[in-house]
Amino acid sequence: MNGDGTVYARGLRKSFGDRVVLDSIDLEVACGEIVCIIGPSGSGKSTLLRCIDGLEEIDRGVLRVNGEDLGFRETPTSYQALKRKEVAAQRTRIGMVFQSFNLFPNMTAQENVMSGPVLVKGAPKAESRRRADALLTSVGLEGHGDHYPWQLSGGQQQRVAIARSLAMDPQVMLFDEPTSALDPERVGEVLAVMKDLAQRGMTMLIATHEMGFAREVADTVIFMDGGLVVEKGKPADVLGNPQEARTCKFLESVL
Amino acid sequence: MTSVSDSVRMDPDKENLAGSDATNKPRVHRRGALEYVAWVACALVALGVIRTLLTNENYQWDVVAQYVTAETVLRGLVMTVVLTILCMTFGALLGLVIAVLRASPLRPVRILAGAYVTFFRGTPVLVQLIFWFNIAALYPNLAIGIPFTDVSQDIDVNRLISATTAAVVGLSLNQAAYQAEIFRGGFASVDKGQIEAADSLGMSRGTKLRRIIVPQSMPTIVPATGNQFIGMFKETSLVSVLGVAELLQSVQLIYARTYQTIPLLIVACVWYLAMTLLLSYPQSLIEKKFSRTRARVSNEPALAPTPTELMGDAK
Repeated sequence: MNGDGTVYARGLRKSFGDRVVLDSIDLEVACGEIVCIIGPSGSGKSTLLRCIDGLEEIDRGVLRVNGEDLGFRETPTSYQALKRKEVAAQRTRIGMVFQSFNLFPNMTAQENVMSGPVLVKGAPKAESRRRADALLTSVGLEGHGDHYPWQLSGGQQQRVAIARSLAMDPQVMLFDEPTSALDPERVGEVLAVMKDLAQRGMTMLIATHEMGFAREVADTVIFMDGGLVVEKGKPADVLGNPQEARTCKFLESVL
Repeated sequence: MTSVSDSVRMDPDKENLAGSDATNKPRVHRRGALEYVAWVACALVALGVIRTLLTNENYQWDVVAQYVTAETVLRGLVMTVVLTILCMTFGALLGLVIAVLRASPLRPVRILAGAYVTFFRGTPVLVQLIFWFNIAALYPNLAIGIPFTDVSQDIDVNRLISATTAAVVGLSLNQAAYQAEIFRGGFASVDKGQIEAADSLGMSRGTKLRRIIVPQSMPTIVPATGNQFIGMFKETSLVSVLGVAELLQSVQLIYARTYQTIPLLIVACVWYLAMTLLLSYPQSLIEKKFSRTRARVSNEPALAPTPTELMGDAK
């Protein structure tokens, strides 16, 4: 079976020192599914996404992205770490959008978008430049290609960051609170780009505090607290008719 | 009490002493008496210094003027400049290599590079210079060849290591250790999110270093390296102990003959000071330029909207 665009986790556990930040996480994301992860700060949303992007190594459990064990190869008795190059190849198929954008400040918007294809995949420059311009246009930033990140507003920077991820043709996109660092009036433009992406069938996992967005766009909403998945289901159920007391309390405080 | 505060609240200007409108009154900070005292004291010290410089005949300013552009002195100055440039170039290149090795994922490589820095920063540079000058005592013969074969070429180390070579080798190796620390600090100044973004794209270590880390650490590295350059210019005076004919050694050669020690040392000082001031100007420009870019090299969104943005956005 082709696992492209899927994420699968079973019994995933991650701790920093003695502090367990993710415990017995089970996750099954189908190709093209939109999953919004909600929960209070420190609930493990970001760490979960960072694990799926390979930025953090998990302690225990199964984690498969695009149908492959992430960063490791399963043997009958253990998981053997992959070579750096193999891990990098896996990562090119996963896109990550950060809360603080993390655009390369020494490159223009266009160069940021080109950086993946040219510097990682060795794609020809002229072609990558055309592709970068097309991607910038698709996120509503036509004509901003020559601007450096510091010349762009937060919302524009975040849209460049999305274009940069898309330039690698990922099969899974991860968004780590993509609008939390933005001015309120800039949030909409980034959400619009993400909505557009969702309609085109991209698998997306989104840690977010935007409940309206989750209700409208998500196929599945996951509520996390204290490193555990407390509740999982359709947005109408989790957001509209929560079963767990903890979920009710959180939703009351944010809505 | 109540009546006073009430009246102030009702008419704040009533408390004013004299005519003019309170909103227009300038805010004045009076200079303290201490500042006047400091001016007088410092002026007295400065006058004293100038007076002794002018009246003490032992300074022999005529001799200073005579030798300041003497051929021997100028040749020494050129040697000092050449040494500075050579040692900074070699030192920076080797320092970069060591800094990269110190960030290696391989532990033994990290330890070895760390040991290098510890040794060369932990011993006086003057001792190191004399050490390199006498290296032939330790390794009289150097054989260049292919290991485990008979192909080799013997070199007499005493002939290879002249005073000048020892000076360049000694200062460069020492400089490399300090420069490595500057590079390391620069690399560490790059935001962690930048490395994560590069990792997330699947960038290799080499690409990450060349395209992300080194360009972004330049604002930290370049000004510090400029300071090292100015420092190196003065540090070259140490190699006079090896008999290299740089600026200090040149004036020493003259006063050994004429016994005009003080005026000739002043000649050297004049040149060191002049060159340092000359180098300080580009250094201050560099610092200004990079402090500006550093402010830009951040993830903070721009404060003001760009002109294009004001003219209308696609979204």
